[in-house]
Amino acid sequence: MTAVLEVSRLTRRFGAVVANDDVSLRVRSGEVVGLLGHNGAGKTTLVSQVVGLLRPDAGRITVAGVDTVARPAAARRMVALQPQAHVPIDGLTPTAAIRVAARLRGLDAARAREAARRLVADLDIEAWAERRALPEGRGLSGGVRRLVGFAMAVVGGAPLVILDEPSNDVDAVRRRALWAAVRRVADQGSGVLLVTHNVVEAERVVDELVVLDAGRVVAAGTPARLRGDDGLRLELHLAPDGPDPSDAVPVPVRRRVRSGRRVLLTIPPDAAAAAVSWAASHRERGGLDGYALAPATLEDAYLAATAGPRSEADEVVGGV
Amino acid sequence: MSDPSLGPWAAYRTLLSWQLAQIGGLLPLIVVVQALLAVGIVIGFGLLIPSIDPSTAMFLATGAPTVLLLTVGLAIVPQGVARARLDGTFTYMRALPVARPLLFLADLTVWVVVCVPAVGVAVLVGWLRYDLELSFRWPLLVGAALLVTVTATAVGYAVAVVLRPVLAQLVSQVLVFFVLLFSPVTFPAGRLPDWFRALHDVLPVRPGADLLRAGLASEVYEAGGRDLVVLLCWCAVGVAISLRALVRRE
Repeated sequence: MTAVLEVSRLTRRFGAVVANDDVSLRVRSGEVVGLLGHNGAGKTTLVSQVVGLLRPDAGRITVAGVDTVARPAAARRMVALQPQAHVPIDGLTPTAAIRVAARLRGLDAARAREAARRLVADLDIEAWAERRALPEGRGLSGGVRRLVGFAMAVVGGAPLVILDEPSNDVDAVRRRALWAAVRRVADQGSGVLLVTHNVVEAERVVDELVVLDAGRVVAAGTPARLRGDDGLRLELHLAPDGPDPSDAVPVPVRRRVRSGRRVLLTIPPDAAAAAVSWAASHRERGGLDGYALAPATLEDAYLAATAGPRSEADEVVGGV
Repeated sequence: MSDPSLGPWAAYRTLLSWQLAQIGGLLPLIVVVQALLAVGIVIGFGLLIPSIDPSTAMFLATGAPTVLLLTVGLAIVPQGVARARLDGTFTYMRALPVARPLLFLADLTVWVVVCVPAVGVAVLVGWLRYDLELSFRWPLLVGAALLVTVTATAVGYAVAVVLRPVLAQLVSQVLVFFVLLFSPVTFPAGRLPDWFRALHDVLPVRPGADLLRAGLASEVYEAGGRDLVVLLCWCAVGVAISLRALVRRE
């Protein structure tokens, strides 16, 4: 597979703040790559450089082989962006808006109309297809507008599609349709960079993940690799103002993340019984509010990767 | 990999239809506002003058179109651009796969379309109120109206992309105030102190007004070549700053 986005050693500062610090990542054609990170991790800064809104201080970006720093206009024609902000479609119907985006991607009128019709059907927004978006958010709901923005980004099959939080405001049913459409976009040959802080949703659709924290790549790889596939997740809910008894859990702990009153332990599968009986006895004595045991998720790995020493509330303990 | 780009003409037309759709619902409202403004200037300002003679009436009425064009360009345009910068539209448009100057060109076209009725409305109100004897010089009238519109729009756009959005909105209001009350558009420049008149010789307001006036009543007023040069300079500066803001990467 060819790389449609190649970011290497990218650095961008805003005054003293290093928003992107030596970031490298790659998106291949046919692949969905999740770019995860908390607010302020540097995701938007990275995207802005890819679409030529910001200039990097150091490093290199190529989109479908075109250097975005040297030839920004040519590179921009290879990228389609769904921004996190709403797209400006007031005065247009969803169908008309998608058609406009398709025309700007070089589709002729007939193909643009057909593509718009298909996307409206795929995203299950036919009921609003001919309803006009009006100023001040009238006419179309936020969720429908978001889906239209998504359709405008994916129509025409740009080599690289960047989606910034595409599922915000979208209802549960249409979220499924949306993720299916994301997958389809990649299957048809585009590379997709999915920017999100929603780890749970991203896990279902991405092939690869890159986790940014404070401007740096702190983890990268397939979801299975990041998750550590044979692990279990023991989630402890601490009693209010109670002590954290997880230091004394009598099983090997591969990873420990504390987030508020929640402690997430990653433990080996054969330790399940011992861990449960330990947690149950603590709960009976009031040392724990509750607990749950489940297969380890990406969220555990994500929280572990992004819980740095800077954070007072979160702490992470490495493997045993 | 193929380059799926669109020709500049097709891209421009597509952008234009998009911009027109966005502003389409507001067009009737803008025309009504312009009509009210025209009435305000032609009739309202007339009330300030106790016994208005025909030449004063002529000056006032032929100045009104300029005030309307400048109001749109220096107030409505910057407010729209400032809003677009705040809500992310400006960034979104700049990320589209089209040459960025086309965005400006499409915007400019829309504002010209918005402004065209202003001249007609203002002339009509003046004619109805004062029974003016106008003598159109069409090439000059059309050329001057276009140049004043493009200049005002470009300068307004430049104000909005250079200043922070909130500041741009404030400045645009001050500019309108300046055009309405402190510019020799609805009254002769002779009433101003010398230094202020000299200042207006290099600002785009008075030259624009005089060019338009000469197009509306060619038997009464004359156009000056210097006015044209001043206006063209302002136009070029406004366009240059606007394009730079669109193309530039921070």
